[in-house]
Amino acid sequence: MSESKNGNGAAMIRLEKVGKTFYRSKEPLEVLKGIDLDIPEGAFEALMGPSGSGKSTLLNLIAGLDQPSAGRLTVAGADVGGMNESERAKWRASNIGFVFQTYNLMPVLTALENVELPLLLAKLPSAERKKRAEIALRVVGLDQRGDHLPRQLSGGQEQRVAIARAIVADPKIIVADEPTGDLDRESANDILNLLEKLNKEFNKTIVMVTHDPAAAERANIVRRLDKGNLV
Amino acid sequence: MNLTTVAVKNIARNRGRTLLTIVGVTVAILAFVLLRTLLWSWTAAIEQSASDRIGVRHKVTFIMPLPKKYVDEIRQIPGVKAAAYANWFGAKDPKDEGRDFFATMAVEPEELLTVYDEFLVKPAEVEAWKQNRRGALVGDMLAKKKGWKIGDKVVLSGTIFPGEWQFEISGIYTAKRATVDRNSFYFQWKYLNESLPPARQDKVGWVSARIGDAGRSAEICRAIDAKFDDRDVQTLCMSEKAMQASFMGMMSAILKAIDIVSIVILLIMMLVLGNTIAMGVRERTTEYGTLRAIGFVPRHIVLFVVGESLFTSALGGAIGVAVAYPIVNLGIGRYLEENWGQFFAIFRVQPPIALAAFGLALLLGGLAAIIPAYGTTRLNTVAALRRIG
Repeated sequence: MSESKNGNGAAMIRLEKVGKTFYRSKEPLEVLKGIDLDIPEGAFEALMGPSGSGKSTLLNLIAGLDQPSAGRLTVAGADVGGMNESERAKWRASNIGFVFQTYNLMPVLTALENVELPLLLAKLPSAERKKRAEIALRVVGLDQRGDHLPRQLSGGQEQRVAIARAIVADPKIIVADEPTGDLDRESANDILNLLEKLNKEFNKTIVMVTHDPAAAERANIVRRLDKGNLV
Repeated sequence: MNLTTVAVKNIARNRGRTLLTIVGVTVAILAFVLLRTLLWSWTAAIEQSASDRIGVRHKVTFIMPLPKKYVDEIRQIPGVKAAAYANWFGAKDPKDEGRDFFATMAVEPEELLTVYDEFLVKPAEVEAWKQNRRGALVGDMLAKKKGWKIGDKVVLSGTIFPGEWQFEISGIYTAKRATVDRNSFYFQWKYLNESLPPARQDKVGWVSARIGDAGRSAEICRAIDAKFDDRDVQTLCMSEKAMQASFMGMMSAILKAIDIVSIVILLIMMLVLGNTIAMGVRERTTEYGTLRAIGFVPRHIVLFVVGESLFTSALGGAIGVAVAYPIVNLGIGRYLEENWGQFFAIFRVQPPIALAAFGLALLLGGLAAIIPAYGTTRLNTVAALRRIG
């Protein structure tokens, strides 16, 4: 079932009969079963479903972290399913921004350095990298906290730093895996407001996995998965 | 910020553990330098032996004496310029109950200083020694340690030749070469010989001879051994270097053990370092997963891991080598030179040993990182991101 509120434009993400099978002790486990899905540019979509329904697996495929076992996957115009690991890493660096449930900031780096991290892969002068990281921090409202270490920030602030890191390389797509899962309601609302802002003001295509109906409410489209099928 | 900044900050993450690992590497490298210096010192005397000097001893063993009359016969062998003889006396100073070991030898003064011309003694002192039957020539280090001065009366307890032996310090020698032991005590062979019962008289422990042509040492030795081949007591003649080596040969098992231990210490260091790096990698699996997700490739992660290991080993190695210099050269080495000079005439850190120690620290640091680094290349990004802690 999907609830469409918004979302238009050309397909940024296209899945055609995409399947994913894992093997445990040679026993096949079909996690995704022939998924067909178009996500247009500028969409903000939420993926919901019970544990084990395949939503994180689907998100990993879209983000280029994993490869489909079957079908064709096109993201931002690239045949992600046909790329090798090295090509996907390079592709991810410029096309995908990641937001994780547990923020996954490097504890030894300051907020500004964490945000700057993805830019180390781009051939940019140091001053330019720093400038872009400062801008990203300003977008998430943490420009005054650049020299703070993650342990000196609240959970909500850490997630905002993670979002700044996700957008600093100006990717087309942001994938968020339970971005509010570890946050209180107020902080969760701040994060969702920020994601909405990135979607509306910066035209980022956002795909978010969530268990939280309140978070899903913020998406333009909510898609539900069950036992590897979109329902 | 750059990739190096990230790597350096990672190293400083767990400061206590990093510090302990660096200390571990430092101690291992220090121990390695110490043991290798000991091996070097032990064998340096062989390397720096005079090439124009030969030694003659009993064919069976060092501890069996030669008839003194052999000395004159050796002097007659063509190519031999001078020959000196000595008996190992093995006395100790009753004042310190023999705790401070020093070599004591009965010698003939004139010949000793001819054959061993690296000894530096004032002519007046040499003359005084020759004139005094109980006179003794002592190394300056031994004299300093014991507080002996020219003219002092000294009593030593004999071990091989029991009794209380009275001496008078006639001279104090230094040396032209650093490898000469300056902790020895020489006295007149006549004094010993006259004090012995007739059955033990006129025997010498070994003969040292100066030859005219260093290149003929083997030939001259063959001639000496051939001369005594049909006597009751046969000789074994060899170059001073070979004689030193044969003496050291008795210690070969100990030297080999020290050699092995020095390597084992480094291997243990490598395992400790490898374990530390592996622990760090395990703890950072999620972070490495995150880095991979945002576009870093395995090569970057490998550089972080190997860089951390190399940095730790290089720092520990550098500190180990740096502290080895004062500890060895000013501490242990000085003590050994002053107290065990007959075995360790020079006990100083040699630059090649220091360089080798540092190089091995780096090499083993690199090797220690191989398995953890390889593990990161096999990292499944999705599984790494799922992992907590």
